[in-house]
Amino acid sequence: MAESWLKRIDPWLLIAVFGLIGMGLVALYSSSYPAIQTGKGTNYFMFQVFWVIVGTMVMVLVALVPHRTFFNVSYLFYGISIALLILVLFVGTRGMGATRWLRLGPFNIQPSEIAKVATLMAVARYLSSERININQLRYFLTASLFFLIPFLLIVKQPDLGTSLVFVVMVLPVFYWAGLNTGNLFLIIIPFLTLIASFNYYAFFGVMAILVVYLIYSRRPLRVAIFNFLLNIFIGMITPFLWNQLQPYQKKRILTFANPESDPLGAGYQVIQSMVAIGSGGLTGKGFLQGSQTQLRFLPEQHTDFIFAVIGEEFGFLGVTLGLVLFALLLFRIFRIASLVKSQYFSILSVGIATVIGFHMVINIGMTIGLLPVTGLPLPFISYGGSAMLTNLGMVGMLLNFYRNRFEY
Amino acid sequence: MRSRKLYVFYALIVISILTLNIRFYILQIRHADVYQEKSAKNSIRVITQLPVRGNIFDRQGRLIADNRPSFSLYLIPAQTTSHTLEFVTRLLGLDKEKIRQKLRRAGPFQPVKIARSVRPEILTIMQENILELPGLEWRVEPRRHYNIKNGFAHVLGTLGEVDEQELTRNPEYELGDIVGKKGIEKAADRYLRGRKGFKYVRVDALGRTVEEIKTAKNSPPYPGMDMYLTIDARLQQYADTLFQGKRGALVAIDVTNGEVITMLSKPDYDLEYFVGTIDPQIWQQLISDTTHPLYDRACQSSYPPGSTYKLVAAIAALNENIITPSWSAYCPGYFQIGRKTIRCWNPEGHGTLDLLGAIKHSCNVYFYQLGLKIGIDVWSKYSMLFLFGKKTGIELTNENAGLVPTREYYDKVFGKGKWTRGMLANLAIGQGELLVTPLQLAQFGMIIANKGTYYTPHLILKLVDRITGEEQKPEVQAQVIEGVRPEIYELMHQGMREVVDGGTGWRTNIIGIEVAGKTGTAQNPHGKPHAWFLGFAPFDQPRIAVVVLVENGGSGGGVAAPIAGNYLRKYFYYRGMFDYRREWAILKAIREKQKQQAREDRLRQAQEVPEDG
Repeated sequence: MAESWLKRIDPWLLIAVFGLIGMGLVALYSSSYPAIQTGKGTNYFMFQVFWVIVGTMVMVLVALVPHRTFFNVSYLFYGISIALLILVLFVGTRGMGATRWLRLGPFNIQPSEIAKVATLMAVARYLSSERININQLRYFLTASLFFLIPFLLIVKQPDLGTSLVFVVMVLPVFYWAGLNTGNLFLIIIPFLTLIASFNYYAFFGVMAILVVYLIYSRRPLRVAIFNFLLNIFIGMITPFLWNQLQPYQKKRILTFANPESDPLGAGYQVIQSMVAIGSGGLTGKGFLQGSQTQLRFLPEQHTDFIFAVIGEEFGFLGVTLGLVLFALLLFRIFRIASLVKSQYFSILSVGIATVIGFHMVINIGMTIGLLPVTGLPLPFISYGGSAMLTNLGMVGMLLNFYRNRFEY
Repeated sequence: MRSRKLYVFYALIVISILTLNIRFYILQIRHADVYQEKSAKNSIRVITQLPVRGNIFDRQGRLIADNRPSFSLYLIPAQTTSHTLEFVTRLLGLDKEKIRQKLRRAGPFQPVKIARSVRPEILTIMQENILELPGLEWRVEPRRHYNIKNGFAHVLGTLGEVDEQELTRNPEYELGDIVGKKGIEKAADRYLRGRKGFKYVRVDALGRTVEEIKTAKNSPPYPGMDMYLTIDARLQQYADTLFQGKRGALVAIDVTNGEVITMLSKPDYDLEYFVGTIDPQIWQQLISDTTHPLYDRACQSSYPPGSTYKLVAAIAALNENIITPSWSAYCPGYFQIGRKTIRCWNPEGHGTLDLLGAIKHSCNVYFYQLGLKIGIDVWSKYSMLFLFGKKTGIELTNENAGLVPTREYYDKVFGKGKWTRGMLANLAIGQGELLVTPLQLAQFGMIIANKGTYYTPHLILKLVDRITGEEQKPEVQAQVIEGVRPEIYELMHQGMREVVDGGTGWRTNIIGIEVAGKTGTAQNPHGKPHAWFLGFAPFDQPRIAVVVLVENGGSGGGVAAPIAGNYLRKYFYYRGMFDYRREWAILKAIREKQKQQAREDRLRQAQEVPEDG
């Protein structure tokens, strides 16, 4: 009995998840140490312990529900989450120039966290249907609509980082659901155009590649012309879109290009984070010994820049362990995605992997100055109740899928 | 199908994780040292500990200036709220915009000093409201405190915050340092200043000190050296009282070693004005005051020396064998030179005078003629021989060299052959383009008194290291004016003695001490003539040379001579060589005698009347 129960859970998945949560708690203890010692300020560590306990219960609960439940509630859940996103625009709590939270008694919930899972569930349900061919335009557009609605609502908050998640989720999910490489290319090319449009030559380079492909792939003429015009259009309106960005968003992107240009303003965070990580060296300064962390030079150290705490106090070795755990987690999720018989589970797993992987790359890339500061938390490690519950909830789903991997 | 796509994803994961890890490798392994240094700089701050400035004493160890704790206010830019700025600037009466700019220039966690020597009652208000004033800090810093102020403003000089010029000239100074700005505080700043201490502390991102770091680089501050001046504080203060309502200077030099016993310049200012930040209103008043109280008249200003300078002409004429002491001239009260008539100070004329008589009565006509006999070149040579026209070399940095006109000078200013003999006649009586400082004249007095031997006038008696007790004394060596025959000095002594003993300087006479001197009344374009007195005493064994200048005071004999007399009285009184009671008794006896004489005269007249009648 015990043996069969053990076989029905994925031990590596749990090791990776709780290894990361453990690292997060250690880092949070360190960054809350002054508060713990003096009794002044917020003890984020204790709050996080609470969220981990609640989250674990949620995970177990989710892992144990009948596996058909997810499929059945997908659209309902999606509907609820969209309703919450609309609600947050009207009655949300403001903070840092954006309206992102809903007050619920003593807690603040972030509906965009729930929307990530709900959107994935709804899209997975839609795409898992036998008659849907994602390579057909109408199905493609319908499926895209599932992402577009929450995307627009979150952009409106505004929360650029989280809204980007909904853009990035599209590709792996569609690809996994059967989108062919040619179509994938046509989806990717507008994004390349977007980036390239800031430079005259890059823009024409991308256009040249597109034209070559369109001729080579022998697509119907109207498709070819549509795609060509679409990309030209994107290239032309990008400067206009750039002007639509909030000043702080522009500043973040510009500062990313050259953090030293504003060492006391927007660049301050990245510089301090890089100093913290770099000064950690191979083995780090030791637990509670990081001067950047303990003396508060490192900003947002319990949320956005928490990985810098690990980098400073545990050095290259600690950082590598964290990256290995993330790699292990992602490998296991994709393995689950390939193992499960149910197409719904499979697509949902890939979606979950994408969300976690994207958060990780963006957050860590930001702490080491590779990517702009977007304010995306690091899954399982950053402080935050909504994110912890969502992430552990997703792990619960994965455990559930693994348990029912032979079910259709 | 799934497995092929799976490998695409696996590859993506590996690529992203590796990219991140390589970046970590670059930051943490390759460039670790760079970031470790940055991190250390981030949190370690060097705190400068100011040394205590050396105390200043007079020659007998009387405390003139020491240091008292004072409170300086600092703002930490990153923590300072607009409320703090508003509150503090309003309370201190500072310019808010200026402070805001100061804060902007500094680093976010670098404390910026906004006020020194804050009054205790203001500090109390700040302390009461400290919870609503984030970013405000205060520190205890030593500041100058004056135990004796009267008469010391110009000798001591003021302290102030170092300026750009001083920073570039002296690499030891740092922005915000308090350094000597004038007087001996400036001249001896490097002894008085001491050495700063450095303390390494760990601070947090808000600039708060978390702990002190124990490192070999920590060093305690080393106090500045105590300085003993050659000035006698009692005499300096006494001289100050002699100049009530007058402008001028008094310089007294110990002729046996060149120590400056008194160096006074009036008017002066209250030294306390310059402690901390000077009130702009007071500053405006001081610099717009037409009597220039910030100017040190003892060595910074130069004046025509008037008749005191006749001694130079006399020595030159005798030493060059141009005349003998018995050479005489007739003074009808005026002197005709070309088409110009110059008057002697005595319009009735002095009659026929020899050299000693001309010195005693300060006859201008005699010296006009003498000047014409000497000629410009000899006159300039002797002026420079007696060190006029160049700085004495006293420690003070603002010394004026004065001006000794030469043939070249006149050629340059007026053109060759365009200047007249009248100018030379003028120079011989100490008028014209010639300019000297009271200090130079006092030095000349020392040279005469010592018959050619002199010492560089100096103000620093000794410097004492406050930790080791080690003493440092300036080396002052006797120097000699070469080429003047001793008997000429003897003759000058005789002449100067006669000036005081019944001549124009009779008001300097003191009972029991023989004083020798020379008066001067220097015409100048600014109003009444400058009153001068140059003298030394005692006559047979000179101890002190004194110069008194009263700017626009009137006649030297009437105004400067009594000041010199009173000063010398005090000087010898302190040396136990003069007895006020004796002088009073003698003066009383003289007055009694005069009264009795008058009575007898009246009586005799009364008796004589009937005879006539």
